[in-house]
Amino acid sequence: MQESVKIGILYSTSGPYGAMGRDAHAGAEFAFHDYRARGGSEIEPVFFDPRADLSAYLEGARSLIRDHGCRHIVGTITSSARKEVIPLVEKHDGLLWYMCPYEGFEANENVIYIGGCPNQHLIPLFDYLLPRHGARPYLVGANYVWGWEMNRLARELIHNAGGTVLGERYLPLEETAVERIVADIAEKRPSFVLNNLVGPSSYAFLAAMRELGERDPAFLPENCPVASCDLQECELGDIRDGAALGQLCAASYFDTLDTPDNKAFKARLTAWSGGERVVSSLFASAYTAVSLCIAAIEAAGSDAPERVRAEVLARDWPSLFGAMRVDTATNHAALPFLLGRINDRRGFDVIASAPALAADPYLTGAPTKPAPRLRVVS
Amino acid sequence: MTTRTPNFTGWRAVILSEADGNTDRLCRQLGLLGIAVSIQWTPLAAADLPDLVLIDADRGWDELLLFSDAAPACPVVALLGSEAPGRISFALRHGAGAIISKPVAASAVYPALVLAVSIHAERVEARRRIDHLEERLKLRPIVFAAIVRLKAERHIDDEKAYAILRDCAMRRRMPIEQLAAFFLGGSETLREVG
Repeated sequence: MQESVKIGILYSTSGPYGAMGRDAHAGAEFAFHDYRARGGSEIEPVFFDPRADLSAYLEGARSLIRDHGCRHIVGTITSSARKEVIPLVEKHDGLLWYMCPYEGFEANENVIYIGGCPNQHLIPLFDYLLPRHGARPYLVGANYVWGWEMNRLARELIHNAGGTVLGERYLPLEETAVERIVADIAEKRPSFVLNNLVGPSSYAFLAAMRELGERDPAFLPENCPVASCDLQECELGDIRDGAALGQLCAASYFDTLDTPDNKAFKARLTAWSGGERVVSSLFASAYTAVSLCIAAIEAAGSDAPERVRAEVLARDWPSLFGAMRVDTATNHAALPFLLGRINDRRGFDVIASAPALAADPYLTGAPTKPAPRLRVVS
Repeated sequence: MTTRTPNFTGWRAVILSEADGNTDRLCRQLGLLGIAVSIQWTPLAAADLPDLVLIDADRGWDELLLFSDAAPACPVVALLGSEAPGRISFALRHGAGAIISKPVAASAVYPALVLAVSIHAERVEARRRIDHLEERLKLRPIVFAAIVRLKAERHIDDEKAYAILRDCAMRRRMPIEQLAAFFLGGSETLREVG
């Protein structure tokens, strides 16, 4: 092993998705703590905080690669930020370790994907929701590629199921004026709501939906749930007390996961942070990405990206998500599906689950309607 | 509006290029999409057309792909590093509906495929409509002759005669040209109209 290998950590700890960035940042720190606790010293983190400024992601990645010699970067949360960083990582033939759920339709050789794509979150979520609540959803989303593409796919799934999308609305990340959307929902009376909003607009929306449910029980979570694929334990504190109670979220990890690995992990974390801490799937994913990166660098005896990637793809790795297999064709991790219901302890109760599913980023195997070829509809 | 997710699973693609780093990356991305890929640097046999062709437009020569721009037989994607107008023209002449720049970026492949395939489908549909309209145009004299005969038989004006033909064609769900031909041939008497 060469002298001091550096892993770049690229998260925004402020801005509209700051709560997520802070948790991911902490997950990365804890992974390094774990590494040092077992005697590791050659691998060190270099943190860069782009403060939610899109152009700063590119500057940050450039600084990590050029000034600090990082060949691995763990980070970015939004797809816009990931897309900013990828060309630079490709140019330097480095590896980006991306660990958030995203909208799919990407499989880059220079990226290891630890977060899920829609066949691992949205599709099983709909498999759960449609038979129970009907195929008449209302779609809301953040006004960028995550919201747009998740809702496009939702629309396609609903169309294939013979249902109807009753409405589709978008809000910028920091917009909290949700009254018109909620009024529209009250009028249209969907059977459930798919929430792809991010950050403050999502919190305001959940609070407004709770008020609507208090006025009209048809909109209480048990009748018309609000379901999302990216809500985190670390965000629940930012939502008005109890406002999100009973709502649903799909993820591959929840703090409440009842496995020996998770209990041991949580005990170590409590000792490190000096008190009990609720672990979000972002914290767990960042921890997993950094730990996997470190383990693969150690196994390869080098941080040369092609050797590290070969190690990652060569075998199953123990992780908080269970034995983790990263697919040799897509570079995506197989992930379990968990459906959580928000409880009154700022956490999720797991109400449904499925074992690890291989990622299908381009939905090549998804059951589609016949006529797979594009048709011009005049 | 629902945009259907394009799905290329089970497709067969031929890359007309010498094998290099670019074709390696193309093969990887096409494989991810469920496409069976082969590479050749010899002319494509007309009898064995794949679902999709990717062609090196920097170095390709005309016989490599005997498609015309007017009616390419399958979707074509050009691989292009050069900016020379002659090479861009080569790509267009061989029916390219999209370009992937060299060096090939992984993120360029899927969008180019979707674009080339939908442009190809549009061209096929446009060609079909033009053929159909040209056929109808050729038959216009028959409609004219039917109008002249109807006018004489029933002592009506042009507009009325045309309306009778049009209404009857609609009722029979056939083009007006066909109906006019039946009328002139005696197998259609247009009895119930007019």
